[in-house]
Amino acid sequence: MAWVLRRIGASLLLVWVVVTVVFMAIHLVPGDPAELLLSQGGSAPDPAAVAALRGQLGLDRPLLAQYGSDLVGLLHGDLGLSLQDQSPVAADIAQRLPRTIELLCAASILALGFGVPLGTLAGIAPGGMLDRAGAAVSALLLSVPVFVVGTLLVLVFAEQLGWADAGGFVPIDRSLAGHFAHLAMPALTIALGLGAMLYRITRAAVLDVALRDYVRTARAKGVAPRRILWRHVLRNALSPVVTVFGLQFGALIGGTVLVEYVFNYPGLSGLLVDAVNARDYPLVQGIVLVISVLFVAINLTLDLLYAALDPRVRGR
Amino acid sequence: MRLVRRSFLAGAAAGAALPFLSIPGRAAAKPGTLVFGLSSYPPSLLPWVQAGTAAGTVNLCVHRGLTSYAPDGTLRGELAEKFDHDDKNGWTFHLRKAVFHDGSPVTSADVKWTLEQVAAAGSTAYMAPQFRGVAAIETPDAATVRIVMKEPTATLPLWLAQYEMPIVAHGTGIAGKPAIGCGPFTIAAQDHGVSVTLKAFPHFYRPGLPKLETLRMVAYADETARVAALRTGDVDIIEYVPWNAMAAIEANPKLALQTTNGPFMYLTFNGSFKPFADARVRRAIALGVKREDIVKAVFFGRGSPLGGMPIPPGTPFYDAKLANGWTYDPTEAKKLLAEAGYAQGFSCTLLATAQYSMHMQTAVLVQQNLAALGIQVQLALPDWATRVALGNRGQYQFAVGGTSADSNDPDGLSAIIDSSLAPSVARSYDLPVPKIAALFAQGRAEFDPAKRRAIYDQLQRVLLAEAPMVSLAWRSQGYGLSRKVSGFYDMPGALTFFSGTTLEQTSIA
Repeated sequence: MAWVLRRIGASLLLVWVVVTVVFMAIHLVPGDPAELLLSQGGSAPDPAAVAALRGQLGLDRPLLAQYGSDLVGLLHGDLGLSLQDQSPVAADIAQRLPRTIELLCAASILALGFGVPLGTLAGIAPGGMLDRAGAAVSALLLSVPVFVVGTLLVLVFAEQLGWADAGGFVPIDRSLAGHFAHLAMPALTIALGLGAMLYRITRAAVLDVALRDYVRTARAKGVAPRRILWRHVLRNALSPVVTVFGLQFGALIGGTVLVEYVFNYPGLSGLLVDAVNARDYPLVQGIVLVISVLFVAINLTLDLLYAALDPRVRGR
Repeated sequence: MRLVRRSFLAGAAAGAALPFLSIPGRAAAKPGTLVFGLSSYPPSLLPWVQAGTAAGTVNLCVHRGLTSYAPDGTLRGELAEKFDHDDKNGWTFHLRKAVFHDGSPVTSADVKWTLEQVAAAGSTAYMAPQFRGVAAIETPDAATVRIVMKEPTATLPLWLAQYEMPIVAHGTGIAGKPAIGCGPFTIAAQDHGVSVTLKAFPHFYRPGLPKLETLRMVAYADETARVAALRTGDVDIIEYVPWNAMAAIEANPKLALQTTNGPFMYLTFNGSFKPFADARVRRAIALGVKREDIVKAVFFGRGSPLGGMPIPPGTPFYDAKLANGWTYDPTEAKKLLAEAGYAQGFSCTLLATAQYSMHMQTAVLVQQNLAALGIQVQLALPDWATRVALGNRGQYQFAVGGTSADSNDPDGLSAIIDSSLAPSVARSYDLPVPKIAALFAQGRAEFDPAKRRAIYDQLQRVLLAEAPMVSLAWRSQGYGLSRKVSGFYDMPGALTFFSGTTLEQTSIA
């Protein structure tokens, strides 16, 4: 219990550090949200209008005062208002985050669905047909940029075959079929790369564990091969797979921007990039805060999973 | 039936494949519904702010001003049925019968309210500087408004036609009170960052308009995704057609392409950097750039060279000779540099942005061209936000710009060319040319078309001699449309960004 509390305390400290660093970074880089908002399309805004807007947005206050009020807001659960259209940042994130999580969950199901089983099969039969084919295909999927995969899927499934929309998003309450149809291609795009990575990790881990003494002993004792695989090989081989999967999932929460752009999918990554480009300070801070919290939560969950998968970890 | 692992796995696999197999490509289009692919989600829908093309297009559907532009680009009365000026700096506007979206009538009090908010201290309105020239607003009756300017102002109806100048209901359009407009559509729903859904306003003052029942405006920030959405029929119209996709759209029998040369690329200078304080150096640069190369390489041939004041061809003030006063002439350019004391050239930094390829590629070509004159150019390519900040603060030596005039009237170029105005990213820094400022003021005050033309002819000559900015190329601004769409027009020249006005008459088969 004390271990868990220590981990939570350290995680909160980490989140505060991230928020502070992001605040300083986004305010110190050149670019003014008021200027940007009023200079759209290269137009020439009236300097008095820019000054007025800066005042309205509170950007004329000293940096420390802005930091202080932002921090007080965060402690009260108030992420502030977007500088662009004055919409609540929390509402913007609440709208986008579930879409990203859903996209990543769909991609994860697909990736786990083919990456782990195929990696296991390749690991227990190294040098076989599957292993050789898997090595080539996974290398291809890992080396092709995600936007190329996405663009190819759009070309084939949307433009040539007409089976799917080129992109976009349909809320689930408007059309269930439309919702999943729009989810399918971006999820598959992410899944191909993620699955290839899981394939390789799983294969290597299974291969490593399958050569251990306790597995050989189990075989010598005449334990059924399927039982050896499930109880002795996979259980021990899954630790690195869980680690990589968890870290990748966390990284993808804020890192699916290319997929979101290619498929015009309105997720959190695209919102973050747009917010940085517009120097929308509260929106950037709010999104980074949420991503940090999620990342920390995933890491915490992973640690607990390790303990479940590997009893030796417990009590360390 | 017993559920075994194998049948469960088979069922799960089939379920996972369903989205790829059995769901139709796209929802069937509803009659009277048009989907418009915006180039970005409007960052703001405040009525008087210049918040970009996407915001302008939405606002053109929701709002209307006293005047506007017809699809062919001619100025027309909008909420004002007729208007005229008197010899006492006054303009009188007679309002048509129209109602706002809340059902209240459009009156002179609403016009007065709007103009007062635009010109108020602390206003963020794009047109605030112009409307601070208003001396008085008279409202003799509900249907008449007389605007008295401090100076004679021939361009007032043009200013009122800006899409940043909608008339809103009295008491709205300020903090906490969203603007109520009287345009052909009302905002029915907003999915923040994704789409804006508009519904026809049944009491719009033009009989039979709008023709569409629903107008769904969906943001496609990525240009490839935007074009793909048009090709697959997900959207019916897209704006900002990328130049590399124009030929394919033209060749597609289901699609149409409308283009106009309105926006343009140009160079601005910082007068505090010694070489650029000398007009001969700026003119040398104007003569040292191969404009055809920019059109070919950056815009895939979709545009045309621009070697003078950016007045669109076909408009009354256009003069072909003056519009192409700077043509590629490296010999003359070197001579000018030698006269200015830079026979061996000099080193400088060109500010552009890597965020927009047209800016970056233009900068690369300028760099190559100027190397032939002995000018060693280093490129600074920050993101757009940084580029804007550096431009506004004059923290550059010379810079690539890309924009469009406010209108096809030469006065619409004053904010770009008149560098005696306050510092701005859109114009040169610390480089006042008093003759140019004076000629713009004269043109604004002159009502006689022939005399105005003479003034702007003179202004073009001064521009060619002083080169406070150097124009490079017109770039083609295009809309891609499904052949099912009719009534939508890409308006000419600088008015391309006003094309959203024609959505009131657009229909879809």
